[in-house]
Amino acid sequence: MLNKFGPAVGRRAMMAGGAALGVSAGLPDAWAAGRTRFVTANNNPYDILDPHQVFDIGRIAIRLNMYDALVRWVDNPPKLDMWLAEKVDIAPDGKVYTFTLKPGVKFHDGSALTSEDVVYSMERILGMKKGAYGLFSDVVKPGTTKALDARTVQFNLAKPFAVFMAVLSELWVVNSKVVKQHEKNGDWGAEWLTRNEAGSGGYRLRRFDPAVGFQAERFQDHFAGWKPGAVDDADFRVAMETATRVLGVIKGEFNTTDGFLPAEQVARMRESGKVNFVEAESIRTFYFIINNAKAPLNDVNMRRALCCMFDYDGFINNILGGTVVRNTGIIPNPMWGAPKDLKGYTYDLDKAKWYLSQVKEKLRPLQIGAMSGYPQSEQGAQMLQAGAAKIGFDIKVVTEPYTTISPKLDDPDRAHDLVPLWRSAYFADPHNWTGYIYNSRNFKSGNSSFYKNERVDELTDKALLLTDQEQRRPLYEEASRILSEDAAGLFVYNTKYYGPFTKNVKSVRFCPIGDAQDLRWIAMES
Amino acid sequence: MRLLALAARRCLWMPPTLLGLTLIVFSISHIIPSDPARVLAGENAPIEQVEALRRKFGLDLPLPQQFFRYVTDVVSGNMGISLYTQRPVADDLLERLPATFELAIYAMILAVLLGLPLGVVSALRRNSLLDHAVRVVTISGLAMAAFWLAILLQLLFSMKLNLTPVQGRIDGWGPDPITGFYTLDAVLRGDWEMLGSSLRYLALPVMPLAIPAMATIVRFTRAGVLNVMSSNFVFYQNAMGLPRRVVIWKYILRSALIGTLTQIGLVFGNLLAGAVVVEAVFSWPGLGTYAYNSILQSDYNAIMGFTLFTGTVFICVNLLVDIAQAVLDPRGR
Repeated sequence: MLNKFGPAVGRRAMMAGGAALGVSAGLPDAWAAGRTRFVTANNNPYDILDPHQVFDIGRIAIRLNMYDALVRWVDNPPKLDMWLAEKVDIAPDGKVYTFTLKPGVKFHDGSALTSEDVVYSMERILGMKKGAYGLFSDVVKPGTTKALDARTVQFNLAKPFAVFMAVLSELWVVNSKVVKQHEKNGDWGAEWLTRNEAGSGGYRLRRFDPAVGFQAERFQDHFAGWKPGAVDDADFRVAMETATRVLGVIKGEFNTTDGFLPAEQVARMRESGKVNFVEAESIRTFYFIINNAKAPLNDVNMRRALCCMFDYDGFINNILGGTVVRNTGIIPNPMWGAPKDLKGYTYDLDKAKWYLSQVKEKLRPLQIGAMSGYPQSEQGAQMLQAGAAKIGFDIKVVTEPYTTISPKLDDPDRAHDLVPLWRSAYFADPHNWTGYIYNSRNFKSGNSSFYKNERVDELTDKALLLTDQEQRRPLYEEASRILSEDAAGLFVYNTKYYGPFTKNVKSVRFCPIGDAQDLRWIAMES
Repeated sequence: MRLLALAARRCLWMPPTLLGLTLIVFSISHIIPSDPARVLAGENAPIEQVEALRRKFGLDLPLPQQFFRYVTDVVSGNMGISLYTQRPVADDLLERLPATFELAIYAMILAVLLGLPLGVVSALRRNSLLDHAVRVVTISGLAMAAFWLAILLQLLFSMKLNLTPVQGRIDGWGPDPITGFYTLDAVLRGDWEMLGSSLRYLALPVMPLAIPAMATIVRFTRAGVLNVMSSNFVFYQNAMGLPRRVVIWKYILRSALIGTLTQIGLVFGNLLAGAVVVEAVFSWPGLGTYAYNSILQSDYNAIMGFTLFTGTVFICVNLLVDIAQAVLDPRGR
């Protein structure tokens, strides 16, 4: 049903497509009978295959499945595993990282993956200034990464950067020889790699159609080996409509889809009896950005008043049906660095009134910019508006697409007073939630609330200089407490992942980085 | 000769019409306070990364300069690079064109095949039970939102009756394209299983497009037939004792169809626009989903490319309609 024409047509297509796509390995026996096929429905188009041009969760399946990095996030809470790297030596000054690569790692064309490929991949990211460039640009300068020998690569950082190991998970290694062959006018092979792949990952590209998605087959020679039940063929398809994805999973046209569906869609799938769910608390917090630079929101009492106007229980239990978990701070509950005793704010209109009475700035109606197409963003905005209305405080809600809201966040005068949205996990380190979005160095590139607190800056800067997690933990805990005390944002909940899988999927190893899209960890029945 | 002159006149109007269309779309898409470079760069991207993208795509230039550059590029056949797919917009559009045209053509065929006879019969049996029933169907067809109808059809035919797939264009990944129209490719290959598969996948997406189109055709055909039926020449032909079917099919229908034909041209344009929603619901890999994604991402070049392309098709179809109209009605020459 999933591919009635697979055996006949796929082989022909592969012959033509494979040559065009530059998948250099010979024809695989992928269409042999009895192979397992796993179909994912994604709510985001897979229009660029280049792992260095994109850096988002929507297209992470491309990177996770066709490419490898030195390190890789696994499990929940996420832990960082050595992946292409066998070991790492970190100099005492925290500026020199020397990695030894595992032996025998091969690219999909059969050639060996060497340290030269790692160097080229880092230079490519820095040269193209796209994708994950922002993760490295501050600390890795072009030309400073060295291949000491075929299996040893050295990163010489401009300054200590405690999350360097964590962000290396986004340094996807490309086959430098293949990509260089396709470079045109110093484009780093960008045009070619947009529609082709040159990786070493668990799956290699079979077909790609930007309008449909991509199809990949298991790379038998992958260095990490395979366990029984591993998926043989993988289809990643685009289905923009939530209802279509849900119906597709119930009907068995898809094996899975995104794990952050609205509560009613989760219930609908449960009722069908045809879907199993993998449930796990994720690391994706929902909060309101508060524009701290604009009066009266530059007054802490105004911000605290807002935090007391929001009906957390009503939102979590009534509107979201208890499918999420209250998160009183910005760092997700399961992450280290999140203070376990942080009480945060509760829905208390008397307290809100009192805080309002303490505001020194002149009060004015506030405006929330809710994101269209994201019902929870709109519902959250309306919930705060309703709470405020009960004590006679005026809040207006405007709904705009994220593409309209986002550029305004660079400018405190144009930005909305509040914006309800999520903070996803690109790498599992408290810096992702505190340093990036509340350190004042990051105005216009992460800190969209224009919050400035010298102690928070000091703590988050200091935490970046230390490599020992136990030394960093109290710094983030203190920063998180200050952010709550200052009501720097209105922190609401941490997401729970409800990954729907058809019954023939037997095991899933969920990791919040990538939301279980790493097919290596999925086993299914034939 | 007169027909040629008419076609030439219409063709001369095309460039200024398209320029006007480009100007409107360019203005609307650029007035919205959006920043595609920021969206493309991502949440944590440093400002230098955003600026680099802005420069690369010419988004840092003054708007008139951006517009001038765009128009000169389009004239030389370059519709720019999609900010999101990073590929030439023209390539993206051409790649997705067959899927949308196949959908629109089948919807059109279905709408005409059902709409014309229903319109004629409704007029001939005016105020009968059949006429009322057709009226209910057509008004409902016009009133129902395409996306709602699409979801209802999914629930009924895919989920309840298990007759059609929920989404997609063909089982698996489809064949290597000959024309890109899967049904035509299947016939050319003599692959009847593939033909059956592509028709099964077409069945649902065609309906929400065809039903409103059919409703329009029914309403205009009915009105046209009723209008012609009350003409003196029809009274005369009836009085002459001509057989009823000759009067209807030879004289009434030919005159009545002129208005319907104009509508068919307009309806075809609407089908292309309506495909945006329907394709998104059925994950149909055509121009509609491309436009839908482009709008979500503020992909200026892609939005303008789609609009310009659709506008050109619309103008061409209307040119053909004008010519057909002139053939049917010599007064129009």
